Amino acid sequence: MDFSLSEQQEMLRKIARDFFTNELPKSSVKEMAKDTRGYSLELWHKMADLGWMGLVLPEEYGGSGGSFVDLAILLEEMGRACLPGPFFSTVVLGASIVMEAGSEVQRERLLPKLARGELVLTLAVAEPYVLSHTGVFEVRARNVEGGYIIDGTKLFVPDAHVADYIICAAKTGRGSTLFLVDTKSHGLSCTVLPAMSSERQCEVKFNQVKVSKADVLGKVNRGKEYIDKVLTRAAAAKCAEMLGGAEQVMEMTVAYAKERVQFGRAIGAFQAIQHHCANMLNDLDACRCVARRAVWMVSEGMPCAREVSLAKAWVNEAYHRMTLLGHEIHGAIAFQHDHDMHLYFKQAKLGEMAFGDTAYHEEIIAREMGL
Amino acid sequence: MDFRFTEEEEAFRKEVREFLDRELPPDWPGIDPDMYHEDAFDEIHEVSREMQRKLAARGWLGLTWPKKYGGQEQPLWKQMILEEEMTYRGAPGLDAYQFIGGMGDLILEFGTEEQRQKYIPRMVRGEVKGATGMSEPNAGSDLANIQLRADLQGDYFVLNGQKTWQSAAHRADFAPVYVRTDPTAYKHRGISILLVDYNTPGITMRRLTMMSGLDAFNEVFYDNVKVPKENLLGELNGGWRVVMAALGHERSYGIMLIYNIKRDLDLLVQYCKETVVNGQPLAKNKMIRNRLADLAIQLEVARNMGYKLNYLALKGGDVTNTANEIKVLGGVLTQRVAVLGMQILGLYGSLGSVGGNWRQMDAKKDKWAKLGGRMKHLYLSTVCNTIAAGTTEVARNAIATMGLGLPREPKPPQKK
Repeated sequence: MDFSLSEQQEMLRKIARDFFTNELPKSSVKEMAKDTRGYSLELWHKMADLGWMGLVLPEEYGGSGGSFVDLAILLEEMGRACLPGPFFSTVVLGASIVMEAGSEVQRERLLPKLARGELVLTLAVAEPYVLSHTGVFEVRARNVEGGYIIDGTKLFVPDAHVADYIICAAKTGRGSTLFLVDTKSHGLSCTVLPAMSSERQCEVKFNQVKVSKADVLGKVNRGKEYIDKVLTRAAAAKCAEMLGGAEQVMEMTVAYAKERVQFGRAIGAFQAIQHHCANMLNDLDACRCVARRAVWMVSEGMPCAREVSLAKAWVNEAYHRMTLLGHEIHGAIAFQHDHDMHLYFKQAKLGEMAFGDTAYHEEIIAREMGL
Repeated sequence: MDFRFTEEEEAFRKEVREFLDRELPPDWPGIDPDMYHEDAFDEIHEVSREMQRKLAARGWLGLTWPKKYGGQEQPLWKQMILEEEMTYRGAPGLDAYQFIGGMGDLILEFGTEEQRQKYIPRMVRGEVKGATGMSEPNAGSDLANIQLRADLQGDYFVLNGQKTWQSAAHRADFAPVYVRTDPTAYKHRGISILLVDYNTPGITMRRLTMMSGLDAFNEVFYDNVKVPKENLLGELNGGWRVVMAALGHERSYGIMLIYNIKRDLDLLVQYCKETVVNGQPLAKNKMIRNRLADLAIQLEVARNMGYKLNYLALKGGDVTNTANEIKVLGGVLTQRVAVLGMQILGLYGSLGSVGGNWRQMDAKKDKWAKLGGRMKHLYLSTVCNTIAAGTTEVARNAIATMGLGLPREPKPPQKK
């Protein structure tokens, strides 16, 4: 076994770390939370210039053919930097599903633009009464002359307000089908919902939205299979992002415990604080272990539903514990908005809820165990 | 990054599994790696000695040790796989006090040529049983407070004082014993290690019974015990280095807990699939399946950490921090499995003869005990898993100070 990153991967990490340190101070993360768009276009294009949108895309579509492990390293740094914006939606969800389900024509139409940073994609799965793709969608696509007509409401659609296309899962006949919907389509409306942090969760209403046959993504009635695959990848990717945030929480907290003086000594010299820190490190190292393993299995194309679920279930809980202890050790200073700790506290919760909470993944494990 | 086992590793694992299938008594229920079972019960002790001879015949005792002393000079990863498979099956014979970072490694690292020649070949042949002599009534977590006196008089050290919690001492032939050779030096500067033959006149032992009912450890009293001075292991008053090395070798403690508890979790899962209560298998009970899955996740995480530790050890890196982390993870995990086991068994949980092992079961009296009384035994014995080989609090102190560089707590003023 080899738990280490390759030299190129270490280099990618360093480049990303330096880039975000210079380009994305936490003050700007907090400003972006109040911004209408929610992210900086300038930063977006710089990231595209670095080749990050197309990092895992094949070269024929303008990508650089990197591995999923490479992407995860980037996501770790994005988690550490609390990067706002539609990178995850576009690259981890959108591009994956286009690669997985899209025709050659669709790939050529979308992916090179996406790699250049000129296209934002997102995926619409959840609905007000259907929170996971395992349910029966209420959003329907009716087969009509020359295409389909979509009706209904999708909820919790990330970054839909800035997306060029929404990949929408809708009920068709006996199954569900994915549709590539232009956000400028007549009858489509999008509302950004006030939420916890800088994330943008949208309600997207489809009112008699017409799409052509050419906009069907993948096979008709097979939508859930594609979503299943992509959500497994997304859960692993989310673990990587959370791992990056958790590393930053650890570092901030230990640095503070070394410098904060009470009772005449650094608080890190008190065993109560030391044990909190030790517990955090234990959680962090275990997160790194299982998150990287999950990511590596995705990267190798191995069957990995079990490993991804156990990683996500663990990271969900461990990151939460870490942020709570991080806050405890910082005391009141980190409860104020000016401090950065709350960004991670929120990131931990949002990450936990995304692509399967702990109970969801525990049930997958239970089934894997034959229970 | 690569999380696969190599073909060579898989092949050796298969070889070990086939050996265990062949050589373990049929329906072997498994015993714990802390060896309390084999130390407490004569019958299990005999099985253990028998296994030790079989392991010796295969060259699997002292697998990594130099050929010069009878070892095989095999790579460390083989030893790791052997430990993992034997522990998962609850197989006896891999005497931790000798072979898994115990006496043997210390003698090889710190011993003289004569000491190596004297002890190692006998260990490799499976002829001896080891123990260790660290704890004392007033030297627990504060190990440097060792008070057992050893005064050099001519050709002998003369020992006076006592040790306690000495696992396996009543069955052992000899042990490295941690003694105070300079009472004027400050704590850890006056400690030495002596290889003590337990048959030496003046040594008396008293078996102590654990809360689980097993009588597997001892108080050992030294009354003018003469130990030849050539039995000094390492330098005079330089024993703290050996202590640190011995604790560093405890790499395996946490991992062994984890491999061992996997057997118990598998046992519980099987039980829940097969046991129908109120017309439905326990496995379909939402609370139970959720908690089993939760523990399976924790176990897998801990196992992965174990592989990380092995990876670091094979690379030759410092494993102290990861070993401490795994010790904390493993200790807590075993307690959680025990608690869940008791909960699943309900009122049946309290039944069963001492030891939780069918080899001690009485067919008539124990007919209502479930899983051989294993969960009760675990529930009682795992209390120790956050204490033995260094408490989790001491481990957390080390993680915080050595792993994270937090300042040490100020020490009280030195008395001497």
